[in-house]
Amino acid sequence: MLSDLLILTAALWAASFIITLVERSGVLARIGLVLGCCSAVVLSIGGLNFGIPAFSLPIYLADTPVTFQLDVPALWLLFFGSVPALLATLLGTSSHSSRAKRYWMAGTALALLGALGVFGFQDAMSLLVAWEVMSFGGAVMILGERVESRGSRPALFMLALLEVGAVGLVLALLLLGSQANTFAFAGFGGMTSSATSFFAGLLLLIGFGAKLGLLPFYEWFPAAYGSGSGATGTIFSGVVLNAAFFGLQRGAAAWLPKTGGWSTSIAIVYILVGVLSAILAIFYAFQEEDWRRLLSFSSAENACIGIATLGVSLLLTANSHPVLAALAWNVALLHLAGHSLAKGALFLTADGVFHANGEYAIRQRGLLRRTSAVLGIGAVFAAMSLAALPPQAGFVSEWYIFQTLFRGTQATTLVSRLTLALAAAGLALTAAVALATFVKLFGIGLLGDGHEGRAPVSPIRNGAVFTLGLCVLGLAVGMPWWLNCLSTANLSLFGADAAASMRDGLLLIPLSNKFAFISPTKLVVAMPALTLIPVALILAGRVNRTLRRAPIWYGGRREASSGIATTSLAFSNALRTFYGFIYGPTHDVRREYDQAPYFVKRLVFNQELAPIFGPYLFSPLVRIVRSLATAIRPLQSGYLNFYNALIGILLVLILALSLLIQ
Amino acid sequence: MPIWTLYGIRKGIATTAWPDQRGDEGQEGLLGFPRYHPEACEEGCHACADACLPGAIRLAKDGSEPERLSIDYGKCIVCQLCTEACPSGAMERSEDWAFGVRNREDLRWAEALSSGPANEVKEKIKKVFGRSLHIRHVDAGSCNGCESELQALNNPFYNLHRLGIFFTPSPRFADLLLVTGPVTYAMRDALLETYSAMPEPRWVMATGTCAVSGGAVGGGYACWNGVDDVLQVDVYIPGCPPNPVAILQALLLLLNRDRQRVAGGRVAE
Amino acid sequence: MNGTLETAMGPAELSVACQQLLGQGGRMQMAYAWYPEADAPPEILYLGDQAARQPFVLFRCRLAPQQQPPSLAIVSPLLGWYEREIHDLFGVTFEGHPEPYPLVLHEGARPVLPPLDPRFHPDEPIPFTPSPWQLPEIHGKDVQRLPFGPVRGDVLESAQIVFYYIGEAILHCHPQLFFKHRGMEKRFEGLYPKQAVLLAERVSGVDSVAHSLAFCQAIEVACDCAPPLRAQYLRVILAELERLYNHLHYLGHLCHTTTLKVGEAEGKLLEERAKQINATLTGSRFLRGLLTPGGLRRDFDVTGLHRKLDALKPEIDTYMSNLEKTNSHLDRLMTTGPLPLKVAFDQGASGPIKRASGIDRDLRRDHPYAVYGDLAVKVPVKVDGDAHARAQVRMEEIGASIELIEQALARIPDGPVCAEIDLQRGREGLGWSEGSRGSTYYAVHLDHAGRLIRVKVKSPSFSNWRVFPFTVHDTNMMDYAINEASFGLTMAGCDR
Repeated sequence: MLSDLLILTAALWAASFIITLVERSGVLARIGLVLGCCSAVVLSIGGLNFGIPAFSLPIYLADTPVTFQLDVPALWLLFFGSVPALLATLLGTSSHSSRAKRYWMAGTALALLGALGVFGFQDAMSLLVAWEVMSFGGAVMILGERVESRGSRPALFMLALLEVGAVGLVLALLLLGSQANTFAFAGFGGMTSSATSFFAGLLLLIGFGAKLGLLPFYEWFPAAYGSGSGATGTIFSGVVLNAAFFGLQRGAAAWLPKTGGWSTSIAIVYILVGVLSAILAIFYAFQEEDWRRLLSFSSAENACIGIATLGVSLLLTANSHPVLAALAWNVALLHLAGHSLAKGALFLTADGVFHANGEYAIRQRGLLRRTSAVLGIGAVFAAMSLAALPPQAGFVSEWYIFQTLFRGTQATTLVSRLTLALAAAGLALTAAVALATFVKLFGIGLLGDGHEGRAPVSPIRNGAVFTLGLCVLGLAVGMPWWLNCLSTANLSLFGADAAASMRDGLLLIPLSNKFAFISPTKLVVAMPALTLIPVALILAGRVNRTLRRAPIWYGGRREASSGIATTSLAFSNALRTFYGFIYGPTHDVRREYDQAPYFVKRLVFNQELAPIFGPYLFSPLVRIVRSLATAIRPLQSGYLNFYNALIGILLVLILALSLLIQ
Repeated sequence: MPIWTLYGIRKGIATTAWPDQRGDEGQEGLLGFPRYHPEACEEGCHACADACLPGAIRLAKDGSEPERLSIDYGKCIVCQLCTEACPSGAMERSEDWAFGVRNREDLRWAEALSSGPANEVKEKIKKVFGRSLHIRHVDAGSCNGCESELQALNNPFYNLHRLGIFFTPSPRFADLLLVTGPVTYAMRDALLETYSAMPEPRWVMATGTCAVSGGAVGGGYACWNGVDDVLQVDVYIPGCPPNPVAILQALLLLLNRDRQRVAGGRVAE
Repeated sequence: MNGTLETAMGPAELSVACQQLLGQGGRMQMAYAWYPEADAPPEILYLGDQAARQPFVLFRCRLAPQQQPPSLAIVSPLLGWYEREIHDLFGVTFEGHPEPYPLVLHEGARPVLPPLDPRFHPDEPIPFTPSPWQLPEIHGKDVQRLPFGPVRGDVLESAQIVFYYIGEAILHCHPQLFFKHRGMEKRFEGLYPKQAVLLAERVSGVDSVAHSLAFCQAIEVACDCAPPLRAQYLRVILAELERLYNHLHYLGHLCHTTTLKVGEAEGKLLEERAKQINATLTGSRFLRGLLTPGGLRRDFDVTGLHRKLDALKPEIDTYMSNLEKTNSHLDRLMTTGPLPLKVAFDQGASGPIKRASGIDRDLRRDHPYAVYGDLAVKVPVKVDGDAHARAQVRMEEIGASIELIEQALARIPDGPVCAEIDLQRGREGLGWSEGSRGSTYYAVHLDHAGRLIRVKVKSPSFSNWRVFPFTVHDTNMMDYAINEASFGLTMAGCDR
């Protein structure tokens, strides 16, 4: 039954892709996509407890039978990715031209198909094909949305960095495959701790990390997300990001050796790189002034927290603490789950902002006061979750992360303890900046008063954001039950069921209730009850008193709120100045004078941040590529097709390689 | 580097014992409002009225014979010119400066006291504030003399806080609007805006002769004639400027922690 | 005008004359207008300062009907504000003014006639609808406009400070003043000087002596009257007592902004004691009610003053030397709000502000009045131009003031304190004084009966407010309050 649904899902998405090539209106294609997503949701929830057993396809790649299997973590990540994807495909891209919409749907279909492949394929070659299809689909989505404006640099930059990742992935799989003498993943697990295993772990990190926004790869995020719509962002930060994380966690947890010095080393690398990336990504997120760019950096941050947590799991495994390791692994999955839902809600809100204001800029435009409260509730739940505020899902997972780190520091060697303590400090910093980031996003972008925008947000979108917001809350409230789903996976991967020890009735506990506990389930009941007190006070105060409303106090003068509203930069500039060594900010004030330099007529202000890796890593690369390109100019058509051809060549090379090895 | 805390402690207590102990106000030698002795007035003499810049002393226009002086301490800028101009000592220098009143009428010199000093809002104020008070000050065009004395309230000698009285940065949590200056055309809206930003119940105090009546600078193309032109005033404290103790006394008067000392234009001990 | 070297010239010659004065190391001081006849166009007068101990120069420029004089704001930037003031109050437009906006009257004020027109006698304040200010155009979506005031925190005078800022960093600062414009100059018209001096005392309450002294001296110069010697000594004592309490207040307030709480309390307590000395000495905490054209209204007993100052002086010295040893205080002052010498000179900085930026000028020494010429006047000068330099200049002036009072007390003769003054002799006169905040000028015009027909008041804060924003642009919000306190400005004197 579930296998049928799986085939149906793949078929619907594939059909949608084909339909977009022929149908002009795009209605059928959209129906196909939405139904496919529905099917994926049902399929993944259905199999969540035990997974979907493997079945073979009648194809061989590199002498390996192509089999397809969705295990528990795959279904978990697919489920939390496909719920926002369902709503994103329902609402579609924010681009208005029908051509752009078609391209976008074609790209989405490919990306979803690719992601499904990444989740399910059980051999190296199929995985690489699926991976490329997913990347290519993403590029088509962004390029499609920009088809009218003809700006393709961000998408190309993204593809270029992803190809760096893809090369890492190819090498990692080749390495693992040559060690195991097979390209079927079933045979990958037997490696012993060695420099080779360390190197393989590193290559996996680079390969999947390119998509997850690991440093330096997060630098493709804002440009790519920022040139697409919020719907694109929803897919990227949901299904695609989850698929990449799934790949990494499978490689790290199942393929790499579990004990030995090199295992500890690779675990520490995962933790440090993850934490450092998370810090940098959230710092840049805080300074962004565009909804999509800010959210994209935040996606990188959350994925990197996931990577760091995965590293913690590896470290604890290497220290022979399987229960704690399983706890960390569970927490990483929880974190990614909450993130997909919340991020989806905010990306869809971003499109709403675009519809209402005509721009994605984070500015005080009084959106919340002229749109349905439903949108506000959905968005505030999501923002709370990403800012790790109780009782939302993001709070639960962050709380678990810190509990895991604290517990881990009690149970391991000195080096590991030190790493975990540093990680805790780093993650505390990201949590603080994340809070400021989402206060800025919600406060300035939605809540802030200001001059009116042009249009209301559609009721369907309000509903979608609200639904996702409720899902975020639902995940937190239902956490005691959601945790059940991870038990079987815990047992099979770690031989210990941590998920069962993460709750005690309605309380959430880090394996033992002596250490700490929280209960979002109870909080959700208690918090509204607590609000009764201030409400009662207000009502009591109103008795015998008439309500008088005074204008906003601006120091005695009425001011139009538009000019004096706090800008994005004004909100975040203090941190920018304080952490100038990270940001390398440049502020440029040009004054234009009338006749003499004392009489200022005009001030022109520009500001910029210096990306850390741009000037030292990417720019030299770009220069090298440019000079190469000049050298081979005859080959260079300057069009996307050429690039597509290159990808095609890469695919052919993979196939050729698989034939050779055969 | 000096240890300021020790330095401060070594200096000891600088604060006046007033209001618990009269006579320690720190206003020794300070000249107050001129005392009027009508019995000493020479008939037909109006040297004081001629000398008076703000028109606090005028010839009453009620047609009475002989001519009668009308004196309004709400307009007096305490310049002492009348005491110098008076040939007969009817205008006498004094140290009466605690002229805080609830009714503007109490600042006008009257032959007979119609009634005792007014105390009508007594219970209400006590009920609302207990004994504490938060003040929002608005400078509506003063010469900065009143501000100088208001700032002095926070110095260690007067130490306003010990009486439970505070200046607030915002009108949102102020009980009393304390206005100085005659109210300029440009400050009128700001004054009203501040008043409307205050929660109810709220009180208004006109501080200094300019705020009470416009004094010497009210009128003209840029000024109104005091706060009365704009808002209803609860306590008036004339003076140019009123000294810090006089302001304190008026604040305590508002809180009913001190009694009104002036009625009919003279100190009614 | 008595007290000046006059040159009459046409509008076309103004610019050359001004450049010539600047070329010789001189500086313009102020410009104002008046109506010599009721129905004729106004005359514009420019006051300049050649050098120490040289008479002030005065360019007189009669306008033809509808004539527009050229703006001198580019040649001498400090005149920009005076020209805008003349435009607001007299309706004269200056050709080529770089900032042709209202200054003294707010945008949205619509008087029927220019307020200083002799035919203008309104029954109530001029009609006014608050309108947006003229601010520099801004390009860049990141910049926030932050209006602060006119009702600001604490007990402060009214003014709105508008910032263009990007969170902590200030790009541009525009102090919108003149909320407190009371039309004081018009109030002088028609009064006899003996009453008018009361108004001069109330232009700026904490500079009562500086203003009334400049006013009295202007009348005395106009009427060729020399006050008795004792009165002149007493005037010096009053002027220096005023400087003393103002500077002590300044130090206390500066500590307030650097959050040095005990320092603030001590500074303000010392100020209070100085004010109480004022009250016992003169009957007024602000030293009011004494000065009159011709001398003083009454004598007062200065015998006890020496003893009181002797008690105060060691405490002040300890206080100031402690301040100079407090790192947390000094860190906030040093390099804060630097004012370069050129800006200070061009924009007309006055008093301690200019002396902290290296301009060594003091009217008491360079254009002596009262008996300053006979006393040794110490003029402290610093070159750093930052908040610390401004504080240091004032601290040294406190010592110099006490020394001056002691010199005066040692030499004060007995005798009358007021001379007869024949007002009907007088026509025009210029008086000046160096108060605690800088130079105050009064130009007076009298009619045949000895009544005032025009009084121009130039207060030091008018000059220093013009300079102040140039030390705020491109600084940060945390330093703003300290910087403003280090200038020690008043609105009342500036707004009038």
